[in-house]
Amino acid sequence: MVDKEGGGVIEFLGEVIAWFGDPANWFGPAGILNRLREHVQITVAATAVSTVVAIPPAVWLAHRRIGGSFVVAAVNIGRAIPSFAIVVLFLPISIRLGLGIGFWPTFLALLFLAVPPMFTNSYTGVAGVDPDLVEASLGMGMTDHEVLMKVESPMASPVILAAVRVAAVQVVATATLGALVGWGGLGRFIVDGFAVRNNVVVFAGALLVAALAIVTDVVLSSVERHVVPATLRSRSEGVESVVA
Amino acid sequence: MRTHARRTIAGATIVAFALIAAACGSGDDGGTIEGPTITIGSANFSENALVAEIYAQALESEGYQVERKLNIGSREIYAPALEAGELDLIPEYIGTMLTYLGGTPSPDSAETHAALQAAWESKGIEVLDFAPAQDKNGFVVTRATAEALGLAKVSDLSAHNGTLVLGGPPECPEREFCLQGLESVYGLSFAEFRPLDVGGPITVAALEGNEIQVGLMFTSDGTIVAKDFVLLEDDKGLQPAENLAPAVRSEIIAAYGDKFAETLKKVSSKLTTAELTAMNKLVGIDGQDPEQVATDWLKAIGVTG
Repeated sequence: MVDKEGGGVIEFLGEVIAWFGDPANWFGPAGILNRLREHVQITVAATAVSTVVAIPPAVWLAHRRIGGSFVVAAVNIGRAIPSFAIVVLFLPISIRLGLGIGFWPTFLALLFLAVPPMFTNSYTGVAGVDPDLVEASLGMGMTDHEVLMKVESPMASPVILAAVRVAAVQVVATATLGALVGWGGLGRFIVDGFAVRNNVVVFAGALLVAALAIVTDVVLSSVERHVVPATLRSRSEGVESVVA
Repeated sequence: MRTHARRTIAGATIVAFALIAAACGSGDDGGTIEGPTITIGSANFSENALVAEIYAQALESEGYQVERKLNIGSREIYAPALEAGELDLIPEYIGTMLTYLGGTPSPDSAETHAALQAAWESKGIEVLDFAPAQDKNGFVVTRATAEALGLAKVSDLSAHNGTLVLGGPPECPEREFCLQGLESVYGLSFAEFRPLDVGGPITVAALEGNEIQVGLMFTSDGTIVAKDFVLLEDDKGLQPAENLAPAVRSEIIAAYGDKFAETLKKVSSKLTTAELTAMNKLVGIDGQDPEQVATDWLKAIGVTG
């Protein structure tokens, strides 16, 4: 191991490339493909469930102008706790609930992580819609429901979708910690590599997680472009920098 | 003034009587043994500190002067302290200590003990008779699994090759004492290996949830008793011997003679892995006071009244 560290950066990168080149590292239950599948699976599940849990109540509360900064602050308490602590805290909870180790403590921790930014942005997005616009819509004869669905929601959509994207990228990165509580995913390469002091495997795992995070960001950005109404896109660009 | 002086004299007399009475009292208990105070140290984890406390109380009951310096730290700290004479006595695990001194332990306890004795002698340390109790890697199954599959020894697992899931620390597949040894020494094969923790809460939860059927834990872990797990006997000797033995400075033995070693020998002879595991459970899981656990155990084995 000392030789490897002393062998220079070029040699180290050569070993990383060789590791990726070995088909044995790609197939089987502990291979890259299966770990990638597990990682994508939990990311999609956690992001999707967070969307359902966070966005509709936030949009409704903001539409009714209920709660305000108090609700947002309460939901945001979760963001102050380090992700590692969340995963470790959810382990005994999951065991007590009979959900065991592995998937569930990781999944619950990821929910805890993804819900706050989605909730906050959805709330502020809807609450920030120009009151004159809402009044004009009502004046045009729109029902309360129509105002929510046809005016407020589309107006807030750039902010909401940006939050979904940011949360999803965060989930990809944090799902790595699941390897500490007996779950699979790409974090396995980092944790298992570290256990045997194999820096090549640790580095390869980190590369895979980073690559998946970038792909997630690119995919969700293109979804944003397709979903957000054309007239709001410039607004999206402006708000995005505020959120992210 | 006068009454004051009288009172002082009366007080002094009472104190003097008390001192004489105290001296007589301790004399009736077998007396204090003249000689150097024995400084007892331990590593910074509860099992080791508990065994050090047991040594301390056993020696105290015989009248030795004892000073405790428990929970010092890792072997890198307490072993040099013992060699330098800052400590006189520590409970040590023979296999790991031999490895620390550059030797190679074997599964044979007597052989490992002799090798450790030889390696440490030149530094003025004697390793007294080892206890049957060992704290080393072991493979455990739940009571339900043991009964359903008829498991008592590690070799019994071979009848279920390819069907069970093994859980252990992430480095297990790379280690001779773990998956590699199970395959090469025992001829076992598993359906899957699940990387978990080093015999910690994740392994326990995985066993309880039947996500794994066989898990790696430490043989004297109190959780094994608390969860009613079954520790499979290492019948082909995969794990190096890790018996507990008192390591003492030779000058202490020279100062007190064989009687000193006899006391510790008596303690070691009664300390089995099962007894140690039960005491670890009392301290680590039931939250009992280690000093009290040591006192109760010494009474139970008849070392102290």
